[in-house]
Amino acid sequence: MIGKTFIKETKELFREGRVRISLFIVLALLGVAVWISTRQYEAVNDQYAAAKTTERSVWDGQGEKNPHSAAHYGTYAFKPKYPLSLVDQGVDKYAGTSIFLEAHNRNDAQFSAAADQTGLARFGDLTPDFILLFIIPLLIILLGYNSLTKEREMGTLALLKSQGISFWKMILGKWTALFLPILVITVTLFLIAGVVLSRIEDFGVFNWDALLAMCLIYIMYYAVFTNLVLIVSALTRKSGVSLVIALSMWIAACLAAPKMATNVANNQHPYPTAQEFAASILEDKENGLDGHNPWSEESKKLEQDVLAKYGVDSLHQLPFNFDGYRMQKGEEHAAEVYFKHYKLLKDQYERQSEVYQGLAVLSPYLPTRFMSMAVAHTDYGTHWDFSDAAEKYRIATQKFLNEHFAENSGYGEWGWQADADFWQQLPAFEYEPTSLKSTIREQKANLSILGIWLLLSFSGLLLTVKRF
Amino acid sequence: MITTNDLTKKYGGHIALDNLNLNVKEGEIYCLLGANGAGKTTTINLLLGFIEPTSGSAFINQLNVHENPKATKQFLAYIPENLMLYPSLTAVENLDYFSGIAGKKPTTTALKGFLEDAGLQPEAYDKRTSTFSKGMRQKVGIAIALAKDAKVLLLDEPTSGLDPKASNEFGNLLQKLRKKGVATLMATHDLFRAKEVATHIGIMKGGQLKQQFMADDISLSQLEKAYLNTMDYKETVS
Repeated sequence: MIGKTFIKETKELFREGRVRISLFIVLALLGVAVWISTRQYEAVNDQYAAAKTTERSVWDGQGEKNPHSAAHYGTYAFKPKYPLSLVDQGVDKYAGTSIFLEAHNRNDAQFSAAADQTGLARFGDLTPDFILLFIIPLLIILLGYNSLTKEREMGTLALLKSQGISFWKMILGKWTALFLPILVITVTLFLIAGVVLSRIEDFGVFNWDALLAMCLIYIMYYAVFTNLVLIVSALTRKSGVSLVIALSMWIAACLAAPKMATNVANNQHPYPTAQEFAASILEDKENGLDGHNPWSEESKKLEQDVLAKYGVDSLHQLPFNFDGYRMQKGEEHAAEVYFKHYKLLKDQYERQSEVYQGLAVLSPYLPTRFMSMAVAHTDYGTHWDFSDAAEKYRIATQKFLNEHFAENSGYGEWGWQADADFWQQLPAFEYEPTSLKSTIREQKANLSILGIWLLLSFSGLLLTVKRF
Repeated sequence: MITTNDLTKKYGGHIALDNLNLNVKEGEIYCLLGANGAGKTTTINLLLGFIEPTSGSAFINQLNVHENPKATKQFLAYIPENLMLYPSLTAVENLDYFSGIAGKKPTTTALKGFLEDAGLQPEAYDKRTSTFSKGMRQKVGIAIALAKDAKVLLLDEPTSGLDPKASNEFGNLLQKLRKKGVATLMATHDLFRAKEVATHIGIMKGGQLKQQFMADDISLSQLEKAYLNTMDYKETVS
């Protein structure tokens, strides 16, 4: 009976003009979105490759120079566009793509794609994730809102009952007929994305496992929507009412809940303003050692401590250049200050994430969105991780430069210059995002929430059979 | 085949069916006549198991309908006043689906055979039923009963709205089924058709079966008179 109902429903669906038109529109939109995203992906990664090579050659070709001048001259850490950003662009557009690494300061990522656009960017882009997260659930509603109400409205229900129909089998047949086109669209999209990604040069970590994981997440999301739409259709008597309720549910789950979650998270755990953040960092930095200021109280104390430790009377008698040493100590103090303040910011981000997770019980959209971005490495977590890696690299670079200065020159020799080939000894910045396994482990809570949505909605659907 | 014992259905204080006792045997066509609200449809719904009786019992093929809802449905076919099919499916596809639900798996040839036996024109077999008239849909309904090999046929105003030709064809189909031993209970307003097809006729009013006749023992005019008398239209006929 499940098979018969599935075949009947499929025939009915595909013989209806509205279904054919909406499927065509969704497929056309997906095609355009994948094409646009592929072009963007290739363009951004070409820029990434060119910028990375150019920046490194500029660094390597500095010529003879004082290491601390080179530290101020600085370099860049570039974030590549990861392969699965082709499917889910996440927060990439707003997060910035490169971080300027220099002495004494931790800088935020800059050159975000959004900053390069006009205010029209607020309208959003046509991307595969927009279609996956918003349009396909709408398609499920369009295909399924009258799946059960039509049996009442057309009057076929009485005939079905008299034939001794098993309602749960009928519902499973309808469920399969509604879900299968969605499954085919989703799997096709991910297959196309996989083929495209495996054929073009990438700078990330594309693997089919991650693509499969992402595909499964969306399949779960659509299964939840399919269940909800059929529950609504089973509990309402009129198709019009069913459509209105299902659309309201979509608005609540996909539009209102994420915005509400953002408001709640921001209200409960607000971020400091950029000015407050900068001011508190400056205050803490001023309360410690400034590597550039040899007359400060902290510098004098450091001087005394070092002289005592080495048992000498003059900085000139030290086996290293105290200026370089002080610079490094100043860097270490600044790094601690940045670590402290960015940790506070990160903790606040974690608290906000918890709020989102808490509110994910209101909408299957939220856990799906977070998992999708995490697997695609386009979430804020990955951005934080990249930013932390860049900061670690910055600290290591400063240490490398200061130590070279301290070990190879004498006190007061500010005119000392490192050899032209010294710069090549600095290892290049490399960033590896978290592995799929770790990402899934980190996303355990969201996965559980989506799993609960799936389980409860499916149980709810089977329970409505009794009322049908 | 169809038996009711003191079958009663109440909705609050309103008695929709009052101690109905019926017995329709194999090869009999029992027509229930009565005005709207007489209890005809309630009787059919109780026999279908769509509603629970307040008291009494209903049996199909000696099985209590409310104790064996699944099992009794194996034996019966139902044609409502306005039989609706899936408009985007063809007649054969509709028949295939409804037969499949009843657990039957006839071949396409067999399905077309049932449609032919039900009197549907061959050119309509593979047409979508959205274009079907009520008479054509009723024929598909009969084909569903044939495909199911139903022992009992429950009909609720099946000829209402049919033109005389279609109504006559429908009557002939019922006779065919009667000869196959099918027990039929038909609720109708149509005295003429009842007299034409029935073996037994009952007149209901206010949920009660007021009178019963053997169809052969009564003329159409006597039936009409009895009907109107039962409905309190004495002065009109006198």
